[in-house]
Amino acid sequence: MAALLRPARWLLRAAAAPYLPLSLRLLAGGPGRPDAAVCLRAARARPVAGGLLSQARLHSIAAEKKNYLQEEPTSSHRRNASQFDWALMRLDNSVRRTGRIPKTLLQKVFDNTCHSGSPGGNQALLLLRSCGSLLPELKLSERTEFAHKIWDELQKLGTVYDVSHYNALLKVYLQNDHKFSPTDFLARMEKGNIQPNRVTYQRLIAAYCNMGDIEGASTILGFMKTKDLPVTEAVFSALVTGHARSGDMENAENILTVMKEAGIEPGPDTYLALLNAYAEKGDIDHVKQTLEKVEKSDLYLMDRDLLQIILSFSKAGYPQYVPEILEKITYERRYIPDTMNLILLLVTEKLEDTALQILLACPISRESSQNDFGSFFLRHCVTMNTPAEKLKDYCKKLKEAQLHTSPLQFTLQCALVAQKLDLAKVLMKALKEEGFPIRTHYFWPLLVGHQKEKNVQGIVEVLKGMHEIGVTPDQETYVNYVFPCFDSIKSVRAVLQENGCPHDDNVFSQAELRSKAVNGNLDYILSFLESNTLPFSFSSLRGSLILDCVCSNLLLLLQCTHFLSYQITELLYKDGRYCQEPPGPTEAVGYFLYNLIDSMSDSEVQAKEERLRQYFHQLKEMNVKIPENIYRGIRNLLDSYHVPELIKDVNILVEREKTDSRKPSSSDLESKLEKLKAENQPIGDILKQLIVMLCSEENMQKALELKAKYESDMVVGGYAALINLCCRHDNAEDALNLKREFDRLDSSAVLDTGKYVRLVKVLGKHGKLQDAINILKEMKEKDVPVKDATVLSFFHILNGAALRGETETVKQLHEAIVTLGLAKPSTALSSPLVTLYLEKDDLPAALESTIDCYEKYKILPRIHDVLCKLIEKGETELIQKAMDFVSQEQGEMTMLYDLFFAFLQTGNYKEAKKIIETPGIRARPTRLQWFCDRCIANNQVETLEKLVELTQKLFECDRDQLYYSLLKLYKVNDDWQKADAVWNKMQEENIIPREKTLRLLAEILRNNNQEVPFDVPELWYEEEKDCPTSLPSPVEVNLQQGLLNACHRRRNKAVSRSIFCSNIFNIRTVVFIISPWCSTIYYRIRSIAETHIKGFTLNDAANSLLIITQVRRDYLKDALTTLKTALDLDQIPSRLAVTRLIQACALKGDTESIHDIQKLVNGLEDSIGLSRMVFINNIALAQIKNNNIDVAIESIENMLTSENQTVDPQYFGLAYLFRKVIEGQLEPALKKISIMAERLANQFAVYKPVTDLFLQLVDSGKVNDARALLQRCGAIAEQMPILLVFCIRNCQRPGKAPVMKSLLELIPELIDKEEAYTCLMKSYVFDNDVTSAKALYESLTAKNVKLNDLFLKRYAVLLKNAGESVPFTEPPESFEFYAKQLKESKETHL
Amino acid sequence: MSTRGAVVLRTNIGRPVAFVRKIPWTAASSELREHFAQFGHVRKCTVPFDKETGFHKGMGWIHFSSEEELHNALQQENHIIDGVKLHVQPQKPKALQGDQTSDEEKDF
Repeated sequence: MAALLRPARWLLRAAAAPYLPLSLRLLAGGPGRPDAAVCLRAARARPVAGGLLSQARLHSIAAEKKNYLQEEPTSSHRRNASQFDWALMRLDNSVRRTGRIPKTLLQKVFDNTCHSGSPGGNQALLLLRSCGSLLPELKLSERTEFAHKIWDELQKLGTVYDVSHYNALLKVYLQNDHKFSPTDFLARMEKGNIQPNRVTYQRLIAAYCNMGDIEGASTILGFMKTKDLPVTEAVFSALVTGHARSGDMENAENILTVMKEAGIEPGPDTYLALLNAYAEKGDIDHVKQTLEKVEKSDLYLMDRDLLQIILSFSKAGYPQYVPEILEKITYERRYIPDTMNLILLLVTEKLEDTALQILLACPISRESSQNDFGSFFLRHCVTMNTPAEKLKDYCKKLKEAQLHTSPLQFTLQCALVAQKLDLAKVLMKALKEEGFPIRTHYFWPLLVGHQKEKNVQGIVEVLKGMHEIGVTPDQETYVNYVFPCFDSIKSVRAVLQENGCPHDDNVFSQAELRSKAVNGNLDYILSFLESNTLPFSFSSLRGSLILDCVCSNLLLLLQCTHFLSYQITELLYKDGRYCQEPPGPTEAVGYFLYNLIDSMSDSEVQAKEERLRQYFHQLKEMNVKIPENIYRGIRNLLDSYHVPELIKDVNILVEREKTDSRKPSSSDLESKLEKLKAENQPIGDILKQLIVMLCSEENMQKALELKAKYESDMVVGGYAALINLCCRHDNAEDALNLKREFDRLDSSAVLDTGKYVRLVKVLGKHGKLQDAINILKEMKEKDVPVKDATVLSFFHILNGAALRGETETVKQLHEAIVTLGLAKPSTALSSPLVTLYLEKDDLPAALESTIDCYEKYKILPRIHDVLCKLIEKGETELIQKAMDFVSQEQGEMTMLYDLFFAFLQTGNYKEAKKIIETPGIRARPTRLQWFCDRCIANNQVETLEKLVELTQKLFECDRDQLYYSLLKLYKVNDDWQKADAVWNKMQEENIIPREKTLRLLAEILRNNNQEVPFDVPELWYEEEKDCPTSLPSPVEVNLQQGLLNACHRRRNKAVSRSIFCSNIFNIRTVVFIISPWCSTIYYRIRSIAETHIKGFTLNDAANSLLIITQVRRDYLKDALTTLKTALDLDQIPSRLAVTRLIQACALKGDTESIHDIQKLVNGLEDSIGLSRMVFINNIALAQIKNNNIDVAIESIENMLTSENQTVDPQYFGLAYLFRKVIEGQLEPALKKISIMAERLANQFAVYKPVTDLFLQLVDSGKVNDARALLQRCGAIAEQMPILLVFCIRNCQRPGKAPVMKSLLELIPELIDKEEAYTCLMKSYVFDNDVTSAKALYESLTAKNVKLNDLFLKRYAVLLKNAGESVPFTEPPESFEFYAKQLKESKETHL
Repeated sequence: MSTRGAVVLRTNIGRPVAFVRKIPWTAASSELREHFAQFGHVRKCTVPFDKETGFHKGMGWIHFSSEEELHNALQQENHIIDGVKLHVQPQKPKALQGDQTSDEEKDF
């Protein structure tokens, strides 16, 4: 409510004072008068009681701009800044949402501020200012106490106070009705060597008036006069209160006359002071009269003002008049927090009946029955110990009024949270009467409190209470909330019996058992189960077994891995310095990216596509490059994950090698050209080079001549350069001709975007409109890329034409650009359409054009300029038309802002004021900022000053931001006096300036050799400049802090203690993620981790990734060591890691290491998921690499033909070996292997190897070899299961259509298998192979095969995409639908 | 398809679990169980309590014995307990990790 937001007004109250003449004399008196008059006028617009709400809210934008996750404190200054922002955000959010701050929150922010070390001046200001009316839930005295605690504590911590802090403290005193001696206060300031300013004096006057001490107030007024300080409306308002409180209503009223005599109409603040004065006297008649008077004037009292009157009435003991004021309240939405705060304040003041009255008058929740209203009231009543019977009654009334659906339940919840057993019991009984069940768990919150304090008596009370209500404690009650309070369960039983707490023995012993289980007392469980005679269900046990705990911990760890990619991504983002480190950032980042993507699953990559894209672009902006070969790897990965859309985004990072060959001069080239020509040799290339060179030398004449001379030898590139040259030289004729020749040469050739745009420009400029449009059309047809810069160029083309007044050019080109879809019809792009008429001063046409744009494209270009011109010319009808239109299309608010800015711009401030005071209007930060920036750019001081002045009471207005803009402008003009005045105004308005504002202000003052009256926040990075950059430490420290921050964040989110493990895990995660990226950093972090975390070891996942990394970097020995370490720690490395290592060894021909690994993992193969075939394949491969082909073949053959086979021949897959041999073009080996495979098939009927070989040949494109093999060994065609698996696997990947086609050709009978033809179609669709797909479809339909919907859907989409007609009705549902359908039908068949 | 390779065709087995939010503080697992029993057999129902406060956090999980039952529950538009509307949604399957196989590993 207003009282809370602008409390100076209503808190100024006092008793008797006969000193009016003195104060009046001072006010009206002699030489001071002109001054006073001037200031009074100024002060009207910005009365002293600036909204506290705006003070707090002003920070919201600052807070929003920061991304806290990216904060990375590197110095105490920086930390201070982020600390301030954090505090700001918390408090601001609270004020924005509710108009108040809960005490706990303020306490928390305060504690945090203290912990942060030395809090800055801003933080102190923020905290102090929160101690007034923003704490309606606290008693007035408690608030002041809090403020004093903050003041003293911060002073101890070294905070330097300036005048703004003292003023803030004064404000708090006023808001809290705190009695103090103003003279002592002044003395204290003097002791602190702080000079009081105008705001200080104003508030001291208010303090005297508050006490009804007019004499005291007059003394201060005298001070002000001697110091030549201006007297503001706030002083008058204070005096109204002062006289009233001194019992002299007559003179209170007289103040208004004095004001008028001074030439100033009293503003709303003065009237409010008077109204409150009457209300305090219970004088309803005068209140009503005054209200009527205000209504008749052009002044406007807001809801919050009326709420203050209500407060005055209630506090003075006249609640009977409240309804009359309530009637006048409009309940504007934005005042609802104010109303709520008044209600809270009344409850705090034990005026809860009045509070309820106001609550019931609120119209809010009747419109939306879903949300309960009044919870805040009930909760506060519980806190303030409102009697239980009263609360019951309130609940009833709230329910009757349909404000709240379940007030009793809610109040009970509050009572439980507050651990109020007696109240809870009353409420539960009431609920029971309503027929609402009372459940066991309602008592748990009550038990929790006693349990924490080990208060046995309290527990007994609650248990008795349960009995009283008729609720029996269950197992959980005992196990979780009762037992922990006692040393042993035996003693529980004893105490309960002693105190006459009845309990169910059965439940009790089950609870006992569970409790033992949770504590891991397995002996007890065993003995219990042995001796148990009661019926007992095992299911009651299950939930509590230790295993569960272990599992949940594991789960937690798993969740952390999800977290990892983000962590590191952010870590990288945050600090550009990482990437500028010397050791080959290109490769490092490349590897990092590869690994990052590799470590994600395909679904993860798909899900995070947008995030990754942003990340790549961020890297691009940081100028990070990656080598081409790594790019190719990433490309393949992305391809396999089916997110090829991301490839282009990675591509931007590729480091392109520059070919910087030394160029010969143009004359060299020319002579060379002539020489070649004379020798009758081809000259195309050299001609192009020469033309390009001449173009770069801007030698158009020569270039054109050369072209004419050797026309037949011209190539596309030469033309392109020439066209561009002509455009640059504004030579439309030649440019067009060249373009035509260019087209004749190669009609499909495409120019660069920029060249097209230049052509359009030149052609348009020279009136060749149709040609220009044709170029645009060509751009569309040839799909020329249109970038932001291109769109900007379009704008300049159009705007140039508009300024030249070329109506047709603007219209037609705009039309063409937009309809062709080359650019979106944005406000900027379309503004030339309006500029055209504005330049010609044709206002009706300009407005028409704007409106036309809206109707066509939903934009309103240059509406502001149009409006300004209309206002200047006084075109009322057109203004009305424009406003009606805007209002209808974009809402009233937009219209009001448009009008407001137009009035401001044209200097019609009175009108502007009326507009911005429209009830219901609220701040639109972007629009305000737009206008500020405009003013700064055009150096419109007065306009901007007016904007700031007029928006003072604007709801949710970011005052600091506006003052910041104003200071920016003052800085441009180097006007320190005005800047200094801003400092005063900000205090008056109770704004907490952001650091940037203070810095700017200080800069202006310092530049003009003025003293800076406050502690200037320093820039954190200034310190950093002094850091020797040669040391590697900053990186290390940063990284460490980043990691620790990450941990901190985790801890904040933590819900259970076990999160601690996850913190460690997190560091590990980051460690292994970072490791491939830069091994030095990796080792450094690892050592940090090892010194900071006791018993630090990498866990399974981390070690596995480390192995993979080491393999990738070809550190095979290290990888082997890592594997050993992991296995020594009883870890199970991942299958992928072990496999990669084995494969790497094999490719090196390192048979020995493979054997070592085999020994190492012996017995763990199943846990790892390692097939024996991995070893068999790779050992054989290693042997082959060592030219031991025969050994390899012999051992394989032995394995397959011996009696005791370890692997079923059916699973004896050698595809990997075959593929590697084929890939490696190891011809002798291939030959021998082939012989072996055939022998195994023909002699031993083992067909798996030969089939695998066959498939690998097909896969490698060696179709003829495959065919020959098939002819020699026809049984291959019968190995359907193997063949089908091959098909299924291959169709998951793109690019396999040719393979599939060859396979089908070789084994045509495959087509009869549903799995096979499905795969074939899938593969064809993947590769857009329409012809093969058609052939497949036709041969299938010829065979009358019944095709499933999924198959048909795929085919149909393929055809449609290729622009062909679909010969059947396309299945209407989605792919997922049919896939699911198919899956389900298969499952039912099984 | 009897070869090991068939394993590659991994199917996403969804668990029939409903995730419930906005449970009023007055209701606990037995109330939830009772409510959801109308849609099928509730195998397990958990509403974790915070032992620091004695209240639950308004979230719970209902394990049905079949997808169909879960589907039934999700079909119903309004779930109201103690006059409060619950938010019911299927539990999202946890992304399977460490399960990705590259082509090199598949062909054994």
